[in-house]
Amino acid sequence: MYDSKMVKIGRISMGLAIIANFIPAIYIGLRYGEMPSMSVIFKIWGLVAATYGISWIVQPIAYYPTLGATGSYIGWLAGSVGDIRMPAASMAQKIAGVEPGTHAGEVIGTIGTCCSVLVSATMITVFTVIGSQVIPLLPEFVTSSFTYILPALFGAIYTDIARKDIRAGISTIIMALLLMIFGGKIGIPGGVLTLVIVLGGVLITRGFFVIDKKKASES
Amino acid sequence: MEFQQMINSPGLWIVSSFLVIISVSQAVVFMRAALKEASSIGIDKDRRKAAIRSASITALGPSLSPVITLLSLIVVVGAPTTWMRLCDVGAARTELGVVSLTSTLAGVEVGSAAFGSQAFSYALWGMALNNFGWLFVVFILGHRMSKVVTSMNEKYDPAWVKKLMAGATVGLFGYLLANQIKDMAMPKLAPAIISAAVMYILTTVFKKNQRLQELSLGIAMLVGMFGAQLLFS
Repeated sequence: MYDSKMVKIGRISMGLAIIANFIPAIYIGLRYGEMPSMSVIFKIWGLVAATYGISWIVQPIAYYPTLGATGSYIGWLAGSVGDIRMPAASMAQKIAGVEPGTHAGEVIGTIGTCCSVLVSATMITVFTVIGSQVIPLLPEFVTSSFTYILPALFGAIYTDIARKDIRAGISTIIMALLLMIFGGKIGIPGGVLTLVIVLGGVLITRGFFVIDKKKASES
Repeated sequence: MEFQQMINSPGLWIVSSFLVIISVSQAVVFMRAALKEASSIGIDKDRRKAAIRSASITALGPSLSPVITLLSLIVVVGAPTTWMRLCDVGAARTELGVVSLTSTLAGVEVGSAAFGSQAFSYALWGMALNNFGWLFVVFILGHRMSKVVTSMNEKYDPAWVKKLMAGATVGLFGYLLANQIKDMAMPKLAPAIISAAVMYILTTVFKKNQRLQELSLGIAMLVGMFGAQLLFS
């Protein structure tokens, strides 16, 4: 009874969320006449599917055993599954003294996850409002440094990712730079380059995975 | 200035609020049902309260950490879009990644004056289509997920599936970084190198400091941006 009720709530909210998700993009089209053509929309879709598509499918499946059905509905709507939802759920279970994997554990986990959504949505709202007021007041030194946002962001993120498998990390960035520099010179379109480099990252990771497996079976 | 007004317009705040409202309402409805269930299976009021308190406190720290990337996103796509997209799945870095991808398609650079209403509409579609991927998969599979998990684990080596995701991530961010520094020239190389070095130090030397780990991305970015600004202004 409880489970089927939760699934019903979950499916209804996911369905509504799918509609709401597209409203701003459509609004900009209707209100300001800025509507990409159908072929551009498909190109954008192809690009995000090629880069994030694996995560769309694998992440919800990988987290399901820990999140359960209800947790999945909350987590994949509100996001921050690994760094906010899961810690909040397991802390709630620990403090309430219930075992994860039991019915009581799931109920308390759900309460914890819901609380974390209310907390993080409130914080993001406050920060966005304050942030948008503060940005125009920042000194010129800070606002002109905004031109460096993306290189600084991707430099830091890449280091963090590459650290986990340093060989694949170094090989991939070298491969990406070479393809970028020479691919750009011979006029390969940006979208194709993206796909080739993402695929290259997968192949390099696969290569080291196979090598490690061989080594492990030999020793 | 017109573009800034458009991306921060009251109309955009309103249409961006729908998804946030749905997410918060979902949490409230789920929470009421779970609280009722908890009381009916014999979890007393004190334990329910303790669960609520501890979960809320736990959520505070990691909710604080994306502040710097949140500000960056406001600079690029405006406050309403930032608000909506950070309240849904996809961290600020994912959203900035998507904006960077769609801008390449629009033929403009993120943060430049050329990033106008067309690039913005591309970015909105990119973020919506990316988000749609997760929503759709969970909408379709959510209620029969346990079967999917079993058959996935039978068919594929879980260790490889994990590596596959890691490979796609390293490839994507490798592309995004390479796209920024492809000219191999200053000044753009400087923020990338400085923030990479700071990130490396923060995640290795200060590995044990949990609070610092949560803030590491923000700190590394700021040092990289300000460092480059100091060198080249």
